[in-house]
Amino acid sequence: MKACARLSVECDSRGDSVVRELRSASPLTLMPRPAARTGGKHAVVHLVGSMTAPLGGDELDLRIRVGAGARLLLRGIAATLALPGHHPGGSRSSVHVEVDDGGTLEYLPEHTVLTRRAEHRAELRVELGARARMRCREILVLGRSGEVPGSLRTSTHVTRQGTPLLRQTLDPGDARRRASAGHLASARVVANEPMMWGSDPPAPVSGDWWSLVPLAAGGSVASAVAADAVTARRRLAEAVRGHPDGTELAKEHW
Amino acid sequence: MTTSGRLAMLALADARFPGGGHVHSGGLEEATHRGVVTRPEELREFLFGRLHGTGELAAVFAAAATHSAAGGAGRQYWLRFDAELDARTPSPAQRDASRAQGRGTARAGRVAWPSSALDELLAATARPHHATVLGVLLGGSGNGTPRDAAAVAAYLALSGSASAAVRLLGLDPFAANAAVTELGPELDRVAERAADTVGDDPADLPAPSAPALDLLAEAHQRHHREEVRLFAS
Repeated sequence: MKACARLSVECDSRGDSVVRELRSASPLTLMPRPAARTGGKHAVVHLVGSMTAPLGGDELDLRIRVGAGARLLLRGIAATLALPGHHPGGSRSSVHVEVDDGGTLEYLPEHTVLTRRAEHRAELRVELGARARMRCREILVLGRSGEVPGSLRTSTHVTRQGTPLLRQTLDPGDARRRASAGHLASARVVANEPMMWGSDPPAPVSGDWWSLVPLAAGGSVASAVAADAVTARRRLAEAVRGHPDGTELAKEHW
Repeated sequence: MTTSGRLAMLALADARFPGGGHVHSGGLEEATHRGVVTRPEELREFLFGRLHGTGELAAVFAAAATHSAAGGAGRQYWLRFDAELDARTPSPAQRDASRAQGRGTARAGRVAWPSSALDELLAATARPHHATVLGVLLGGSGNGTPRDAAAVAAYLALSGSASAAVRLLGLDPFAANAAVTELGPELDRVAERAADTVGDDPADLPAPSAPALDLLAEAHQRHHREEVRLFAS
């Protein structure tokens, strides 16, 4: 199955953020919340998986554009299960984001669970304009409880006006690599949240198996690893709270 | 390869090369404090994971730097190259450790193997990343191939942690050494893959990561501020 969904949000003459383009493509179903419920200053859209996906052979694309000064919260509703399916070649999902000058995107999907024999490739590419803000959360669960996960390769690229802020690829590889203290230290859950959010933490903040670090060219990343999703989320939340705007970022404010 | 080329590669990989690598444990000190590395077998497994994240990233950038230095890359290129490696190193503790070793290696290397490529690199940044310097020293002087530089960078990602393990845990030095050499075939594969990507634009080079090692590096820095630690990273 091939699917390409599109979402575009712009700022209108009153300064309200309005959805200009919304094209769902099953299984990527986009459900906007009525402006009356959100106050209009920001658009809120829920991303709903309307079919079992991704399966082997699936190619899912999501393209998001946030116009100058507009605000979008795109939130996931349920966890995504990456499954093997009947087609060869594995599954692929890509999310391409553009945030124009002064725009804000919060992309908060639920976790992705990599099941046995799944072969999943995921890519997130974000291009930011001047003063654009974004946070994108990624929580990867390597196998359900007691399950040996399939293969995964997930890449994140964040650039601002062409300058690279963050590029990283996670390939948890085989059991040996996952178990190594020099790689994943037997963590089953890996959580990451790049935050390009105006101010950055002046110095790294860290605790046991979590950290919030300022990046070299601006922006920061909160990250955590854990044996289970609940602990990973708690550690990630602790890291996010260390951000100068941590109180705002920690609130489920929309 | 010429005899002087072989010697340059051996000298750069030598623990006695005066580049300042001996003060870095590459996350191993923190791993020993948590009790996750206590025995030679655990050291070997730590190094295996280190090779496939941090080691591979160093190998990729060392190989690409060798290729670009031999091709006469200028200041603008090295600025972009530096920014691309920064973007792949989210942990400030690891960026600092890499630049500290890069600067030390550049100072010693400038005397041993001066080249216009090294001058171009140092004009772009006075504290280049370690992997970049290794590549420029070999490529700029015509003393090594991208694959040689990748092998040196990957080896140094392991040998520093292994010798730190001897000092921190009192491990049998023979066993610690064998933990490194057992990874020979793995290291060859990493170096070979790194050499395959040298023609790519710096923006498209691989970006392997190791989340737990990044967290150990940050925890090490935190403890370094709070209590005495033997190693800088």
